[in-house]
Amino acid sequence: MTQSVNKQQSPGVTGAVLVIGGGIGGMQSALDLAEAGFRVYLVESAPAIGGKMAQLDKTFPTNDCSMCIVSPKLVEVGRHRNIELLTHSEVLGLDGQAGNFTARIAQHARYVDADKCTGCGLCELACPVTRISWFAEPPLPDEKKKRPKARDKTVLPGVAPVSPGDMAVWTFTVDAERCSRCGACFRACLHGAVSWQKKEIAVINQDRCIGCGACYAACPEQFQAITVDQAPDLDKSLGAALYARSQEIIKQRGGRLRGDCIRCGLCVLMCRKVMEIGALTMVEEGIEVGRDICQVCGACASVCPVEFLEVEWLTDKPVRPLLNAFNEGLNLRKPVNILYPQAVPRVPVIDAVSCVRLNTGACGTCQSVCGVGAIDYDQVERQREITIGSVIFSPGIEVFDARMRGEFGYGVYKNVVTSIEFERLLSASGPTSGSVVRPGDGKHPRTIAWIQCVGSRDHSCNRDYCSSVCCMYAAKEAFIAREHDSSIEPTIFYIDQRSFGKNFDRYINRVQENQVRLVRAMVSRVFEDPLTGDLELRYADDSGAVVAEVFDLVVLSVGLQVSEKNKELAGRLGIELDGFGFARTDGFTPLAASRPGVFVSGACNGPKDIPETVSEASGAAQAAAVGIAGARGSQLVRQELPPEKVVEPDEELRIGVFVCHCGSNIASVVDVAAVADYARSLPHVVFADHPLYTCSQDSVERIRDLIGEHNLNRVVVSACSPRTHEPLFMSTLRQAGINKYFFDMANIRDQCSWVHPLEPEKATEKAKRLMRMAVANVSQAEPLSELEFAVEPSLLVIGGGVAGMSAAVEAAGQGFTVYLVEQQEELGGQVRQLQRSLDGRKFAPYLESLRQRVLGNERIRVFTKAALIEQNGFVGSFDSEIMTASGGSRTIRHGATLVATGAREYRPALYGLGERDEVVTQTDLEAILAREPRRVVGWSSIVMLQCAGSRCSEHLDYCSRNCCNQAVKNSLHLKQLNPDIRIDVLYRDMRCYGLFELEYRRARLAGVNFIRFDPQQHTPQVGVAGERLDIVAFDPSIRRPVTLRPDLLVLSTGLVPNDTEELATMLRIPRNEHNFFIEAHAKLRPVDLASEGVFLAGTAHGPKNVSETIVQAQAAVARAATILAKDKLTLSGVFSVVDPAHCAVCLTCVRACPYGVPVITEEHTAYINPALCQGCGICVAECPAKTITLGRFRDDNLYAKLGSYQSAEPIAEPRSA
Amino acid sequence: MSISIVLLPCTGRIEEAVLLRAFEKGADGVMVIGCLEGDCHYVNGNIRARARVGRVAGILETIGFGPERVRMYNLSAGEGAAFARFTGEFVDQVQTLGPSPINLARGQQNQESTEEVAAT
Repeated sequence: MTQSVNKQQSPGVTGAVLVIGGGIGGMQSALDLAEAGFRVYLVESAPAIGGKMAQLDKTFPTNDCSMCIVSPKLVEVGRHRNIELLTHSEVLGLDGQAGNFTARIAQHARYVDADKCTGCGLCELACPVTRISWFAEPPLPDEKKKRPKARDKTVLPGVAPVSPGDMAVWTFTVDAERCSRCGACFRACLHGAVSWQKKEIAVINQDRCIGCGACYAACPEQFQAITVDQAPDLDKSLGAALYARSQEIIKQRGGRLRGDCIRCGLCVLMCRKVMEIGALTMVEEGIEVGRDICQVCGACASVCPVEFLEVEWLTDKPVRPLLNAFNEGLNLRKPVNILYPQAVPRVPVIDAVSCVRLNTGACGTCQSVCGVGAIDYDQVERQREITIGSVIFSPGIEVFDARMRGEFGYGVYKNVVTSIEFERLLSASGPTSGSVVRPGDGKHPRTIAWIQCVGSRDHSCNRDYCSSVCCMYAAKEAFIAREHDSSIEPTIFYIDQRSFGKNFDRYINRVQENQVRLVRAMVSRVFEDPLTGDLELRYADDSGAVVAEVFDLVVLSVGLQVSEKNKELAGRLGIELDGFGFARTDGFTPLAASRPGVFVSGACNGPKDIPETVSEASGAAQAAAVGIAGARGSQLVRQELPPEKVVEPDEELRIGVFVCHCGSNIASVVDVAAVADYARSLPHVVFADHPLYTCSQDSVERIRDLIGEHNLNRVVVSACSPRTHEPLFMSTLRQAGINKYFFDMANIRDQCSWVHPLEPEKATEKAKRLMRMAVANVSQAEPLSELEFAVEPSLLVIGGGVAGMSAAVEAAGQGFTVYLVEQQEELGGQVRQLQRSLDGRKFAPYLESLRQRVLGNERIRVFTKAALIEQNGFVGSFDSEIMTASGGSRTIRHGATLVATGAREYRPALYGLGERDEVVTQTDLEAILAREPRRVVGWSSIVMLQCAGSRCSEHLDYCSRNCCNQAVKNSLHLKQLNPDIRIDVLYRDMRCYGLFELEYRRARLAGVNFIRFDPQQHTPQVGVAGERLDIVAFDPSIRRPVTLRPDLLVLSTGLVPNDTEELATMLRIPRNEHNFFIEAHAKLRPVDLASEGVFLAGTAHGPKNVSETIVQAQAAVARAATILAKDKLTLSGVFSVVDPAHCAVCLTCVRACPYGVPVITEEHTAYINPALCQGCGICVAECPAKTITLGRFRDDNLYAKLGSYQSAEPIAEPRSA
Repeated sequence: MSISIVLLPCTGRIEEAVLLRAFEKGADGVMVIGCLEGDCHYVNGNIRARARVGRVAGILETIGFGPERVRMYNLSAGEGAAFARFTGEFVDQVQTLGPSPINLARGQQNQESTEEVAAT
């Protein structure tokens, strides 16, 4: 029986959540909640979502392209019906209480109507402004606006020879009726093209006119006697026409080549007629500038087709470049700006500070070019109130201001950059298109130094914490830099190598093998050679000698910090922060802020990387959902669809084609009307049109109407990328009542207009071909049905440790039934062996209360001394057989599975462990401290040996992440029990990441000795002298060996995963070589497993502490809830189907499928379960009988495309279901 | 010379017949572009594709087309610049080879090449 958890209605709480911050964390929370049946308001202060991750080039430790993996999330959030995006917005206040909050939100004026905007970006291209102007004081209300008069004039000399007809010229004529006979045009014309005599009407001689427009600029405003013809886009505005002509000239000249003034006159017209300043005049020698009246907007330089004008030459006023914040100020932007190319929403914002129109009333170019009328200069800030049940605070972080560490010269030396600036330099979509150059002189650097811990682990500037990510991102940046240019020699200067995460150490090894030099040293100062711009670094090497080394470029690995703005915001929300601005939370409820109903996730809850942020984001979604689970589904927006038309077998093909202008994105190169005409000539095409913006709201509605009007049964859109726009058009088809797979898209923007801007005819031909191939493809399209499967709203949890128990309680809190299977007799797992958490709290009471909450919950069924022995079925509906304590078996049905099988302490036969009583592990020590604290008084000396059996190929070839923190915690506890005790911690790198660095500092202040060793040079020698342990270690700070004879040797031995070999095979979930499970994606799906509907939490994923384990448990339940909260799952219509008629049962598909989906049925034929099929088509290609087909990618589709490649071939009879 | 992109779910979907059909229908060269090896969105589709491309190259050699007219490339979605570079290289290579014998026989001088791309 399938019970529904969707229909519950609880009037007491609101089924909506406010998520603050649209970075990767906020997006993940929003998606998890929206998929689990809650309405989400996602508030982001920037104009678009994406956050810091969108700015990164690659991500560690997989070197995945950051934008490639984040952009599908952006699109998903942007299109989700139950996520309302409030970008360029701010939360003003939060009233009410958990379950029922009211938030006040200010939506700042964008000056662009987001509902109308299609994101074509034409406004940004046409906007001429590139600097922050020095606007004149606005005139008083009764004062007449006066044109400024220049007093300080200079001439920029240099004129190229020009003759009439050289350039795309406009024609100027004198309107005899308006001419005042003043002769201004005659005086302005430098080419003798105006004939005029006193008291006579001027006449322009077209044979001599070079079309510079000097006459037009000179004609007094009150007469406007010169008229302009042959000027494309002049009907829009002069600004638009100037832009169009500038582009035309650039195209004619084969690019924007720097040279002398070509007398196009665009700058003069721009300054006088568009900006209404008139600081520029054409004179014989060049361009005369009124230096004092120039407003320094940069418009003249931006329309100049030959880069003759440099803004810096025009005026004595300081030039204030309009820096692109997304590119970390490394290049310029326009006042109207789309944050970045993949931005969601792809709607620009006009900057009120620099926009000329908003400040002086002049210009208005963007409004005139916008084809959909989206620019609205009168927009004002809007305030609104929303009601929600919970709040997630995930505003993210900013980077440390490197100017606070003056000794490194950031902000003074041009070739010292921050790590985030370096990310933008590496990025293919960044300011240098991925070319690594020095900002100072554009040279390619050969030697690059990274300085670590700039604004991290630094008490002197109140950044005592470790930023957790810098060691890894620096390694990545160095590695990728060498990938860009193998002649680069990177060096990283670091204190401790904190590569503590999963597979991080392996990445560091790879980076080192790739000739990245790692130097353990603190750089004291950076000096610039003012002549070369090279930088000299001073540091002390291993021997203590001061070394000076010269580098071409220095990258400062800046730490993470909470911005002042977010601290204020936290204040408005009423949540407590610590001294650094991170949210105050409890180790056992790591995501709950101090105000009930408000949850935190991401780096504002302590510095962390992307996967941990994503885990916390899902975890916060879970925490936010539990309190309002009763109102699930109550706030959702549902869509009513008309019934889908059934295709008759003999139905005539009626194809509609839409060729998009995309403003001028496509139409400026491709002749879209010709492409549409051509479409009409193709067989079966009964309708073709070329909308200005095919994706705009009105266009999409029109397509819907046209489908009905012309009885279209197939649709082709020739426009942009199917990756971003296909879902929109497919849903339009469905709304019009036809199967959404009767659709294809030709990408004539990316593949035609963008790549062939200089060859419009060829681009048009190619657009025709791509459209023709899409038409051929769609003629073969089959209606595909998206299967629906009922979902069993229950969760199977394997493992009853902290992860499993937390998950069980969380899932039950959301209303799901839970089956908890534990191998041992008792619940509790590895934490039963531990005593105290890292913040010093005892585990036993916590564990007991958790156990009681599990056992006392009627929705949780616990099986101890039990094991999963078989699992069948698929996501939404698994059948699992469980062997119970009595030896019997039970089959349960559940919608999702959670693996929380945990890990245990490693106990290697090393250094006498297991042989000598005075050699123990950290866990043993904890037990002694808890049970026999008096023993500590008798000890005078203790040695802790870190990485005992970790980070070495003979034992555990990975870092166990917890041991350093555990050693620090136990040291402090020992010091507390016996302040006189001597403690020496022998370590390789103290990996006290994040806020644990504070504890490490506390331990050092408490007198604990930390002695570093390098296993390649001086591994500590543990021996016995008499009855006592005798340890010889090399102390690098005094550069000599020391002998230690402790009462106790404590080994930090790391964690090994529990045995899961059978389980992994049964659930078909891969493990890495250390037997930890491999998540579906290292960055963005940290708690999902490769098999759909199977999730992961806790130390089975990799070593982690209890708080991190609880977060993952919450996260995994949130992910499972996106399935369990649905009545039914809809699967993609694209899956492989076996036609049994020709199946030879050869097993080829069974062997070829990478997911093991095909099975042989009792009817002796192969069968592919649509719910399990991933849609890759490998079996289709492999099947020797060719009896497997994959919807949308059948042979018929591919052959039709290839067949119409050269010319339209007669279309085969359409297939119909 | 210009290229046309044919979208596939995974390069594992292609088979020899599809590649040969492209030549039959007028392509002078075919590029197959899949994920980086070891990083296939569908585990191993690109490895299978590589083998198939190898076999098609063998067939092209046998029938006198020249094996250089088909080639497998591996790219990640973020490598636009490398895509452009590979395409440029391949187009140059095909241009040196000239029109395919099929196009020559048909007397058509359409200098074009098809390309297949795996999308994931």
